[in-house]
Amino acid sequence: MPAQASPAGTGIRGRLDIRRLARPAERRPDVASPGAPGPRDVADLRRGVVYLESAPRAAFDEREPGRAVMDQRNERFVPHVLAVMVGTLVDFPNNDRTYHNVFSLSRARRFDLGRYAAGKSKAVRMDRPGVVRVFCDIHSHMNAFVLVFNHPFFDVTEDDGRYVLPAVPAGTYSVVGWYEGEPRLTRSVVVPASGWAEADLVVP
Amino acid sequence: MFAEPAAAQLLPEQPLSIAGGRVVIGAEITGTFAPDDPGFYNYTSYEFSALRNFRLGVSAELRANDYVQVLGEVRLDQGHLFEAYGLFVRVRPWPRRRFDLQAGRIPPTFGAMTRSAYGSGNILIGQPLAYQYLASIRPDALPSNSDDLLRMRGRGWLSNFPVGNAAAGPGLPMVNTSRWDTGVQAHGVFSLFEWTGAVSTGSLSDPRVRDNNSGRQLAGRLVARPHASMVLGASASRGAWLSRTLETEVPSAADVPHARQVAFGGDAEYSAGRVLVRGEVIRSTWDMPRVTTPAIGDALVATSVLVEGRYKVMPGFYLAARGDRIDYSEILGSRLRNTWDADTWRLEAGAGYSVTRNIMLKGAWQRNRRDGGRVRHDDLVAAQVLYWF
Repeated sequence: MPAQASPAGTGIRGRLDIRRLARPAERRPDVASPGAPGPRDVADLRRGVVYLESAPRAAFDEREPGRAVMDQRNERFVPHVLAVMVGTLVDFPNNDRTYHNVFSLSRARRFDLGRYAAGKSKAVRMDRPGVVRVFCDIHSHMNAFVLVFNHPFFDVTEDDGRYVLPAVPAGTYSVVGWYEGEPRLTRSVVVPASGWAEADLVVP
Repeated sequence: MFAEPAAAQLLPEQPLSIAGGRVVIGAEITGTFAPDDPGFYNYTSYEFSALRNFRLGVSAELRANDYVQVLGEVRLDQGHLFEAYGLFVRVRPWPRRRFDLQAGRIPPTFGAMTRSAYGSGNILIGQPLAYQYLASIRPDALPSNSDDLLRMRGRGWLSNFPVGNAAAGPGLPMVNTSRWDTGVQAHGVFSLFEWTGAVSTGSLSDPRVRDNNSGRQLAGRLVARPHASMVLGASASRGAWLSRTLETEVPSAADVPHARQVAFGGDAEYSAGRVLVRGEVIRSTWDMPRVTTPAIGDALVATSVLVEGRYKVMPGFYLAARGDRIDYSEILGSRLRNTWDADTWRLEAGAGYSVTRNIMLKGAWQRNRRDGGRVRHDDLVAAQVLYWF
């Protein structure tokens, strides 16, 4: 959720309706293994992100950097999608039985946390806006997204697609629906001086 | 604002999932480039250099249900050598338990490096000596005496002996990863331990689809993970290694089916933070039937020692090195005493750079030394491009 106090009753809200959910990444067929791998959780791919393509100038004022968590559990990143503001410190605790090695080669943030065991945690500061694709060097099916914004007008949807962008000043905006790596659609929305603008977005 | 680069979407980056996840397909494409290897240090039993190869490997898993899966891998090597590298059925009698039975052309049981000797699992480009370097001995041809064997020191890439198949051909590595054996394998995980046992057709040096000697190989491996950072393994294998075609060529024909390759291995891996270190020791013996004098006598022994490590310098970039050697036991010829093959050692150092998560460039420098053969030292530079999904 954006790190901003929300004056009651203004902004944009609605649903991001994803008609065809992506399939979670499969394990690579490990033909060279003498046995089947152990059980794992599959990523929850029901959630997308809705955000303003551009924001009013006041939105870029300096803010206290926040802190967020992307957990590692049963060979899965939790949550699968995280949206934060620039400057946020993201913790990657390992709450699994095995080693993990979290890394990203994204232009927005390259990092490699190395291998660390259960009970340990390492953190990365997200200092540039963009999409940071997160992987595990040991388990190739583990992947997640961190979306880094330079304004507070974004929201990760609920499981049913609902989203809320509170405290958006009156005006006309482009609202973007993002899902699994790319913006899927953009829609123009007029925000009134008081009350909510309703905007449902459908990703076919 | 957040569009992914178009290039990143041209190639699959995850395994292909078909029929609702019942069929999963992955692939690995590797192009390896190096100058000529005049000492044949990197030659494999398929008679090509591991440093000069184009390989396409496609692996597939068919999940019939929770109890039965079929797994296979086909490979195209050198652009023309095409075969089913592995093809087996996996049965899980109790899907909730870590216990499997596998039958068919099964993955190797022995050793720590069988899964990391090539491609994305390999931190360098060259393969570990024990898994690739060819000694002179062959399953279809025998030296008539110790002088014949000493004459072939350092000639494993193309050896010939007077008994059996007289045509020149490649010898055998200690552990052959160029192809897989055919048989039945059981595998289980219990607490900190993982165990594997197999009965198969060939031997460690000479895995086979078709049996050539009515012998059976027994192989086992035990792995312990006392801590997340540490893996300890022990392997053993025993199998008939000579072809029955030699029975008519050897005076003591009974020796042929009883000739065994016996191998033991111990390995360890430590990883933490940016560091990965592995080590492995393998000792293999091959029984040799007596033909004429001076007889070879005791079983031939080869001992390999390997240490390798990787250090991640920065995201997407690492440095790696491997020290590796094989020592052979001595035999007595008519005029001198010497090792039955030329002791060989290799130092390889290199780097890997990930262009994307699944596209990698590797470069390596390799120094090979051998105390026998026509070419006793060889320094090579190699490059590799690797893509997998």
